[in-house]
Amino acid sequence: MATDIRPTNWVNTNHPAPAQKPPASEVGVVGWLRTNLFSGVGNTILTLATLVALYFVVNGLVQWTLNAFWQPIWDNRKLFAVGPFPAAQMWQPAVVLLMVSVLFGLSAGRWGSIMRNLGIGLAALLLFLAIIPIGMQAQQVMAASLGLLLLGYVVGLRFAFASKWLSLAWFLSLPLTFVLLMGGVNLPGLGIRWQFAPMVDTNLWGGLMVTMLLAVVGIALSFPIGVLLALGRRSKLPVVKYFCIGYIELIRGVPLITLLFMGMTMLPLFLPSNWGNPSQLVRAMTAITMFSAAYLAENVRGGLQAIPKGQYEAADALGLSGFNSLRFIILPQALTKVIPAIVGQFIGLFKDTSLVSLVGLLELVAVGKAVIQQPEWLGVPGGVAKEVYVFVAIVFFIFSYGMSFASRRLESKLGFGKR
Amino acid sequence: MTTSSLPHARPPFYRDTRVIAIILQIIFLVAVILAGWFLYNNMTTRLAAANTATGGALTWTFLNQTAGFGISEGPAFRPDESYGRAFLVGIANTLRVGVVGVILATILGLFAGIARVSNNWLLSRLAMVYVEIFRSTPLLVQLLFWYVGVIATLPNIQDAAELGNFGYLTNRGMYLTWIYPTETGRVWNWWLLAGVVIGVLLSWLRRKQLERDGAPGSGVFVGVVAFLLVAVIGYFVTASSAAMPSATAYELRRGDRGTLFEDINGNGAFEPGVDRTLAYVPITLFDGDGQVLVTGMTDGDGTFRFIDLPAEAVRLEWDTPTPLAVSEPQRQGFNFRGGLSMTPEFAALLLALVVYTGAFIAEIVRAGINAVNKGQWEASRALGLSTGDTLRMVVLPQALRVIIPPLTSQYLNLVKNSSLAIAVGYPDMFNVSRTIVNQTGAEVQGIILVMAVYLSFSLFTSLFMNWYNKRVALVER
Repeated sequence: MATDIRPTNWVNTNHPAPAQKPPASEVGVVGWLRTNLFSGVGNTILTLATLVALYFVVNGLVQWTLNAFWQPIWDNRKLFAVGPFPAAQMWQPAVVLLMVSVLFGLSAGRWGSIMRNLGIGLAALLLFLAIIPIGMQAQQVMAASLGLLLLGYVVGLRFAFASKWLSLAWFLSLPLTFVLLMGGVNLPGLGIRWQFAPMVDTNLWGGLMVTMLLAVVGIALSFPIGVLLALGRRSKLPVVKYFCIGYIELIRGVPLITLLFMGMTMLPLFLPSNWGNPSQLVRAMTAITMFSAAYLAENVRGGLQAIPKGQYEAADALGLSGFNSLRFIILPQALTKVIPAIVGQFIGLFKDTSLVSLVGLLELVAVGKAVIQQPEWLGVPGGVAKEVYVFVAIVFFIFSYGMSFASRRLESKLGFGKR
Repeated sequence: MTTSSLPHARPPFYRDTRVIAIILQIIFLVAVILAGWFLYNNMTTRLAAANTATGGALTWTFLNQTAGFGISEGPAFRPDESYGRAFLVGIANTLRVGVVGVILATILGLFAGIARVSNNWLLSRLAMVYVEIFRSTPLLVQLLFWYVGVIATLPNIQDAAELGNFGYLTNRGMYLTWIYPTETGRVWNWWLLAGVVIGVLLSWLRRKQLERDGAPGSGVFVGVVAFLLVAVIGYFVTASSAAMPSATAYELRRGDRGTLFEDINGNGAFEPGVDRTLAYVPITLFDGDGQVLVTGMTDGDGTFRFIDLPAEAVRLEWDTPTPLAVSEPQRQGFNFRGGLSMTPEFAALLLALVVYTGAFIAEIVRAGINAVNKGQWEASRALGLSTGDTLRMVVLPQALRVIIPPLTSQYLNLVKNSSLAIAVGYPDMFNVSRTIVNQTGAEVQGIILVMAVYLSFSLFTSLFMNWYNKRVALVER
């Protein structure tokens, strides 16, 4: 009998063995440690050596921080914030802060993206300053700013007002800031003099306020110049092109500090004798703007180069004039592409403003120098220089790193740098 | 017949783009010239009002005037020399801190960048913290921190912090044990030169041979080995055969100090500028009874000085030095002699520039390594290349193409940033130019000089970059 014939196309009908769990040494905390820290003899030695070094560094830092003498910084917090600005008129910088907070809130709600990231950072900072006991009135201002920021965010999110009004508001906020801080307008050249409060000389402005102001003005004023220089450098007219190349390369080839000294001493020379001498702040701003424009031009040129030729041709085909094709087709695309680069440049400029302390302006670093030399701290063994400069560095770090973090998050979201 | 001549008709000149282009450029040029003339005119008017002597014209005669100020470090400079030479000394100081800074920052940045891409999580995080902290704070704050916060709080010379046998740290400067070429090292220099020539020649021949055979490699290895061989042979030959100059003489003052020199003019007395001083020569001092008082070594400038000798030295004997000598700093009263000394200003500036630029270089190195596709590693492994060959012939050439351009711009930044020396008082070019300007009032000329020098640095760098880019550019279809 041949009944016991097995089918030739035999199939395993047994259920496959259940998948085994990976060994405990490859997953979880242990696995992570093995792959990242102890994946071999060399790596293990490296980890242990790093741990030892880290222990000494961290231990030293903690010891120093606990034993450091932070009194000078706490006592001079107003000086670090706004410099020797008259105490009775502190409401003026406060109004500026409120105004900027509203605008930030509105922009974060309306535009999102990087403004939202920056707005979150600003909110965190305001919250921190509102909580720590820096002074009742100051804390109230910080809390009010935070409230306005959040209010602005909600309004910006809910109401689709035209974006151009917000741009216009930002645009107007800069001159308004100057008027608010000065306490009026004083332009003897034009015969204008109007004031709503005792005028505050710009030499009395200082601290973080001036640092911020210089960086913002540097970017804002250099923006139109930089765009024109970038367009000029790509121009087909050789005279224009080589003028722009000459300017850009000249400025980029010399250190900012030479430009600052030049602005301080030579800018008055270049003006007609009957115009008088511009204030030190204006001179520094001029130098920084000239400097920043050259770097901005190169950033914008990068954006312009990234626009495919077809865009120019399509604009021509639509019959747009040269100006209109720039305005409606080319620049909007190019400028969007270079936002991260411009944020990076702003951070660089923010750090570079520390150089104006060398030409006599009372920005953050100069305030630090002044605090170190205050007679109260003469008896402190070792001086207070370390504490003061560490504090100044921390302030710079918070803003620089915060901005670069916000920008990087945006970049990874948009997928820049992943191509 | 009248055929249409329309297609050939030229447009009216005011609609001809070529004509418009020329007119626009002329307008632009006129505007620029007018603006420049306006500024220049204002400047001469104001300068004339301030300084009636020159009538507002920019003169350069001040460069030949006596400076009247000393420069504390760098090439020797006396106050009776000219402003022009002071400026040159400033340039030398800028280059000094720039070159040393570039070398050290590259080493630091390379290590930090490689640590940043390391598989070791802890190490890469640590490198990241370093990079982020130092990139996100201003260089000026870092410089002031190192100078006022760290170096100024070091112990004073009497209780200097010792670094083992390697040197001392004080608030008056750093003193490090260092290796210097001695008097006979001058002979050895010829051997080194010969070594370089032979090395270059051999590596060139080797490369030709490799190219002929179609073998990989660049022949650099052969050249380096040849150079080292010549250098080592030369060292021993020099050490055993070189002699001190026959006219060696010494000048001994106050029984404890003096100068060892080659008596060029044979008058037995030391004349600076005429006689040649002898550096790092072993010497022994004897007192009147012929007892050995002390043995030591002359300094780089041929001088020597010993304090607290038991008796006055009356006689000196010298030995023939080896081509290289280790010079250790010796504490002498309120100062150190010998070794490599760095002023606090130089040390702070160098430290700040190196740590700051190193953070930027680390990011560049990281980006360069990450830019090489993983497939490149795998492909060269598939071709059977060893790890070393993969790095040398596949990965590094590609990474360097990404690394070099931003790296050179960081080098340039380092040199430009060295102008912050003015914040701590290191006499670099910019600082010296400010002193000159303050004394002479030659404001405009001073700025022009400084800018011209920095621009020529930039120019050389971009010439190098163009050459390099042409060399490594991808050859595309």
